Formats: sequence, structure tokens, C-alpha cells
Amino acid sequence: MIKPENQISIPTQLPSGPRLSIPLRFRDRRRVTILLTLAVLGYITLMTLPTMIPSHFKLTEALMSFAENIKIMFLQPRLVNTTFISLLGVLGQSILLAFLTTLIGSVLAFFFALASTRRLAPTSLVLGIQSFMAVIRAIPTVLWVLIYSVVFGLGANAAVVGITFHSVAYLTKVYADSMDELSPEIIETMQAMGLKKSAIIRQAIIPNLIPSYLSWTFIRFEINFADAIAVGAAAGAGGIGYQLFMSSSFYFNFHEVGVMVYMILAFALVLEIISYRLRAVKHQ
Amino acid sequence: MNSNVEEMNDFFTKKRFKLTLLIVILGAAYIGASMGLGFQSHSLLNIQDGIAWLIQNFIPNEASKGYWHEIVQQLLRTFLVAVAATSCAAVISLFLAVIGAKTLTPAITISWVIRGFSSLLRNIPIVAWAMILLFSFKQNDLTGFLALFFMTLGFLTRAFMETIEDFGTEKIQALQATGATYLQVIFQGLLPEIAVALMSWILYMIENNVRDATLVGLLTGTGVGFIFNLYFKSLRYGAAGLVVLSVIILVVTVELISNLIGRLLS
Amino acid sequence: MLTVNHLAKSYDGEKKSLTDVSFSVHPGEVTVIIGPSGAGKTTILRSINQLIRDDDGEILFDDTDMRQLNRSQLRRARCRIGMIFQNYNLIEPLTAIENVLHGCLGTKSNLAGIFSLYSNREKETALKLLEKVGLKDFAYQQCRNLSGGQKQRVGIARALMQHPKIILCDEPIASLDPKSTITVMDILRDLAINDGISVLINLHQVDIAREYADHVIGINNGQVVFDDRTQALSDAAITGIYQKGAVPERSLVHEF
Ligand SMILES: Nc1ncnc2c1ncn2[C@@H]1O[C@H](COP(=O)(O)OP(=O)(O)OP(=O)(O)O)[C@@H](O)[C@H]1O
Ligand SMILES: [Mg+2]
Repeated sequence: MIKPENQISIPTQLPSGPRLSIPLRFRDRRRVTILLTLAVLGYITLMTLPTMIPSHFKLTEALMSFAENIKIMFLQPRLVNTTFISLLGVLGQSILLAFLTTLIGSVLAFFFALASTRRLAPTSLVLGIQSFMAVIRAIPTVLWVLIYSVVFGLGANAAVVGITFHSVAYLTKVYADSMDELSPEIIETMQAMGLKKSAIIRQAIIPNLIPSYLSWTFIRFEINFADAIAVGAAAGAGGIGYQLFMSSSFYFNFHEVGVMVYMILAFALVLEIISYRLRAVKHQ
Repeated sequence: MNSNVEEMNDFFTKKRFKLTLLIVILGAAYIGASMGLGFQSHSLLNIQDGIAWLIQNFIPNEASKGYWHEIVQQLLRTFLVAVAATSCAAVISLFLAVIGAKTLTPAITISWVIRGFSSLLRNIPIVAWAMILLFSFKQNDLTGFLALFFMTLGFLTRAFMETIEDFGTEKIQALQATGATYLQVIFQGLLPEIAVALMSWILYMIENNVRDATLVGLLTGTGVGFIFNLYFKSLRYGAAGLVVLSVIILVVTVELISNLIGRLLS
Repeated sequence: MLTVNHLAKSYDGEKKSLTDVSFSVHPGEVTVIIGPSGAGKTTILRSINQLIRDDDGEILFDDTDMRQLNRSQLRRARCRIGMIFQNYNLIEPLTAIENVLHGCLGTKSNLAGIFSLYSNREKETALKLLEKVGLKDFAYQQCRNLSGGQKQRVGIARALMQHPKIILCDEPIASLDPKSTITVMDILRDLAINDGISVLINLHQVDIAREYADHVIGINNGQVVFDDRTQALSDAAITGIYQKGAVPERSLVHEF
């Protein structure tokens, strides 16, 4: 199955033709699966929704206050406890954190992916590494950072190592999947010419991997930026996330939160433009 | 040596030069970023300390068994909230995507408005969502639900919109040519065709939200994130380890189920 | 040069894809294997350089049995066996000249493979080979921008870069238009005549086989049913190679 992420950034052509000619029983199996899944999801949702609202909860009041805060945030952004320059500094820190963890993660993950692609590695190693990575991926980034902040002390070291953990696990999987997409015939051809493994990796796998390597790494950078903010807030690891947390839960100043959200949105806009450009380049 | 070989030497030299330059730039950027953050590279070599510490302290002991009940309960809540947030967001996203997709939209302005709106929702950090919601809705599941809901809404609207646009204009026009109404085109022509793609997006978002729910819980003081923080801050590491273990089990299970459904759909 | 004796292969341990195949290939000759789809042509070709491990028999290449070699010996033996594929199997993002140079990496060190280090002599040879297949002006084109016929010619140049004693071609012209077909087949015949290389080709086009082959081997249902000079390939012989009759009645009953 194509992972959904694949579609958003790497528009792969969906097989549109053959879908209509699938034998009836396959279409039935699909329909039953979809209907059943929807039924289960719907049931869970309907059962959960009423239990989420506490007994004497004033919903209208909460909604009013929420709307008010949104208004303050977006229409009256203003700084009180800090300056714009210092905010730019902490935003820069979050960006650096995202960059550094993506860089380290992509290098390490590349080697793990080589050891866990079906094209090169034995099945046992593939399964071993992939399950190990699945377990690491299952632990949320914040928990990794919290754990490492006990070992290394709170600070950049814990933040970098914690976010890198998750990045490596994620990138290993997507890189290995991209390598698996390379046709086995290409590898066989190189083997038939008597090439050594190192030469096959360098001359056949890497040139073919570059486009998807770049787009996946970029996607991970976007995720790491979001993670850097979250980690700053939830683990006190600094950056604009920490400021955001302080302004909203310590000073209760939503004017300030507004400024920071605008800054983050501006950077996200830049990323979105870059990813749009990358996609346009790839389509040529 | 003839000129042809020289030309080729130039070609390889240029390639090598570009690669070297790239490596030098990335290396410099690495050093610069490390200094800017105060990150010490040797801590990468001490990664095993964290794992060792994890194994030593997080091995659930006798005392932590007493926490099982609470953990399972909170884990279940977290899971339910994540599923509910995804499902609700999916319904609204589908509606927004149908009227926003370029191939179906009644007016191109609407399409751009929805695009911008979804981009906004998606890019506001989940921390900001959690904190504003916490202020108004206080410490309860509804806060976490809404934070996940808004982010998922932004994400799925864009994903659904792209899926519908990938479906192509010609097929929709072909359906319209048969005299089908707008709603018939959508419900009988479009939706059955893209149902599989939509489903895989929803499953992926559920997976992701189960993980993010932990983060949101940590910030808003609910669910499994909250109890992890509680145990962790009060140095009850055995119990915290049990929380981590249960999160692993939940996320891996969700991933396995979603893979299974994916296989049934293919 | 190359002699195959009593080769047998079964993919699933039950159904025999090859039963007792024997033939030999001589230097400076074009040998063509023909036979219906599923007869086992690809299996034979890929057994020769051990891309698939066969179950039984003997493959004598320069008097050594390919089946008895260990991994590194096999790798070294493969360096002298060129192979050409229906799908070209080039590294598409790289340029034509880089693909050709891959042909000589088998005999070079790890370092050379990783850093693309080639001697001036090798670079010169690679260019000459591209010239020989008529692609000198395309040396620095990315292979993904070449046409099918051009790609196949790059594939041939790459195989020649190995200084092969034998070239194995699995349906080299199946994806080509008539004009490219003639170009490619002419090049292959030229290699046999002028360079003394043995050329072994799997083909579906009998007319092409008649025109270019010195020697024809007919395969049906995993068995050699024809093995003679091209002149002996009468219409009746062709019908014999392609008819289902070559399959024993008994197994037909089993199939249905
Ligand atoms: N990887 C494989 N696994 C199992 N069976 C296989 C495999 N490859 C080939 N076979 C079987 O071996 C037999 C011979 O196949 P082979 O590919 O050698 O035929 P071929 O003569 O090359 O056919 P074609 O002209 O269609 O290429 C066939 O019956 C095929 O089903
Ligand atoms: Mg074949």
C-alpha cells in the first residue's frame, strides 16, 4: 500500500485504469472492509463523544472564551514580556534544532536503510531492523526527549538526541521502502557484471534513490520543525515552543501567542513554497 | 592524452567537486547548528546511556503493577479520543474537500479559501491549539479532542482534496455527460472510486493521532500523557516505564490493524 | 568456449522448467535460442552466469564449471560474461558514459567503485565503444532521455566494456522498432565476426534468427528439440519447435 504521505508530497500516479476491471469478489471484499471499518469508527466516535463533556460543563461559555482568545490571537498580536528580536532568536533555535536532527537522522537512517532493504539484506536482518524501528517509532518524540533529559540533563543534547531517535526510525523505513521500489533486475544486472556490493550501492542504488531521498528528508524536516516546537513546550527544551508555552500557560498572554503563531506560520509558508517548487522540479 | 579523455576528466572532476562542496557545506552547517544550539556531538556516542537507563529504571517492578489499572484506563481514553477526533475531522474534511477540490468546486474562490483555511489549521502548532483550548475548556478530554480535531481537519482536508483532484476532470465530465446530477456524480461516481485512498488516509491519521494524543495529554493534563508526566516527575520510573510500554503496544497494534485493513483493501 | 551439459532446473521442486539441456557455443558465432513462451529460454541464459542456481548439470565456461565456483570466483568469472536485457536495465539517472564505464568495475577495487575512479585507458575505451555503437554524441546524456534503441546500444557498449568472451542477450530487440532492431542485430553480428566473441541470443522472431544466426537451438518445454546450423532450419523444423506436440501427451492430461 502506498503510505498516504507518499501521495501528499510525491504525487505517484494512482493506477486508475485496472481498478474497474477487478474481479467482483475483490470489489466486494473491499466494500465489506470499508463499510465494517467505517461502522467501527462511527460506533467508537458516537460512544465516546458524549462521555467527553464533563457533567456540569458550560459549553457556551467555553466556546465564547475560545472565540475571544482566537480573536485576541489573530487580530491583536502584541508583545509584552519579550521583544521581536529575541523571538526571532528562539525561532531560529527551533529551526536549527529541526535542521540538525534532520541532518543527523538522514545520514544514520541511510545506513540503516541499506541494511534493511530487501534488495540487499537477508530477510532476517530486514525484519529485525524494521521491527526495532517500529518500536522506536511507537514511542512519541516527547517521551524520548524527556528520557534523555534525565540522562544528559535538560538542554540541547537531550533535545537533539530525542528528536533524532524518532527521525532515524521514520527515515529508515521510508528510505528502505524507496530502495525496495528499485527493480530487482537492476541489482541483478550489476551482479551479473561482477560488481562488488559497495559499487552496486554507490553506482546503482544511490543515483536512483536521490529524488525520493530528498523529498522524504524534506518532509521529515517539516515534521521535525513541528516536533521541535512541541518538545520545547512539553519538555522545556527551549526554542519558540518554550516561549509559546510560557506565554500561554504562565503569563496567559494570548496577544503574545498570536505574534509567535504568526511567526511560525510565516516559516511554514516558506516551507510550503519550497515543497511546491521541489514537486514542480520533480515533475519535469 | 586526447581531448576526449580530457573532456571526460573534466566531467568527473566537476561531479566530484560538486559533491565535495555539498559535503563541506553540510559539515559546516552541522558545526554551525551545533554551536548555535550548544549541542555536543559526543552525546551521540552516549546514546546507549539512555537505552541502558531506560532498561534499568523502566523495567516495571512489583510496585508498578498497582498502576496497571489506571494506565490501561487512561490508555483507552487516549485511544478513543484519537479515534473520535480523526473520525469527526474526516467527515467535515470530506465535505470541505468536495466543495473545495478544483474539479468539483462551485467557485474557484471557495477552493482557495478552503485551501488557505486548511493550511492555516495544519500549520498552527499543536502546542498553540492545546494551550488556547486548555484556557477555555480546562483540563479535560474535550480539550485534547479539539486540539487533535483541528490539526487533523487541516491535514485531511488537503489530503482529500488532492485525492479528488487526482481522480481527474475527464471522468467527472464523463459522468456529468450521462445526465447525472451533482450529488449523483459525487455519491455514485466519485466516492466509491476514491474510497480506498480516503480510507488509507484516515487510518494513517489515526495512527499519527494516537501518538500525538500523548503529547497533547502531556500539555493539557489528560490521558496517558498526563500520567506519564506525573509518574516521571515524581520519579516513579517503574510506573512511567509501564506507560511507555503500553503506548508502544497500543501504537504497534494500531499500526498492525491498519496494515491489515490496508491489505484487505488492496 | 561454453558447453552446457545435462542442465536441469525446477523452480518449485515439482514442475521441471528444464530437463536435461545440453548444447555448446563457439567463439565468433551467433547462436540463437528460439522456442515458445515459457519454454525455458530465459532460465537457460540466467543459469549460465548463475543468476539462478540450477539443480543439476554442468556449465563449462573456459573449462571451469560455473556451478562449482565459490562467491568470489563466481564474481570474477561473471566479469567476462556480458549480458544484455530486454529492458536495458541501465541506471537511468546517470549519463551514457557512466553506464558504459560500469562494465569495467567488476575487476576494480571497492574504492574505485565508490569514488568512480577510472584510468585514462578505460575512459578512452568507453568512448571508443560508444562511438562503435554510434552514440558518441550522446555520451553525456542522461540515459532516461535516450530512446529505446539508443538505450539498448548503451547496454551493448556496457557489456563490451567487460571485454567479454561471451555475450548473453535475453530478447534484446523485443521492445524495439524495426529500424533499431536491425541496428542492434548488426552490431551483435559484427561482434561475433570481428571480435571473435560468442554471442548467445534468445529470440522470438524466427525471421531475424534465420538472417543473423550461425547456429540455432530450439527449445520446447525445457528440452532441446533442435540443435543445428541455421541452414538446416526448415519450415517443418520451426513448426516442430513451436508445436505443443513436443509435450508428452501424459502431461497434457495432467494440465487440464
Ligand atoms: N521465478 C520463477 N519462479 C517459478 N517459476 C518460474 C520462474 N521463472 C520462470 N518460471 C517457469 O519456468 C518456465 C520457463 O520460464 P522461462 O522464463 O525460462 O521461459 P522463456 O522461454 O524465457 O519464456 P518467454 O519467451 O515468455 O520469455 C516457465 O514455465 C515459467 O513458468
Ligand atoms: Mg524469457
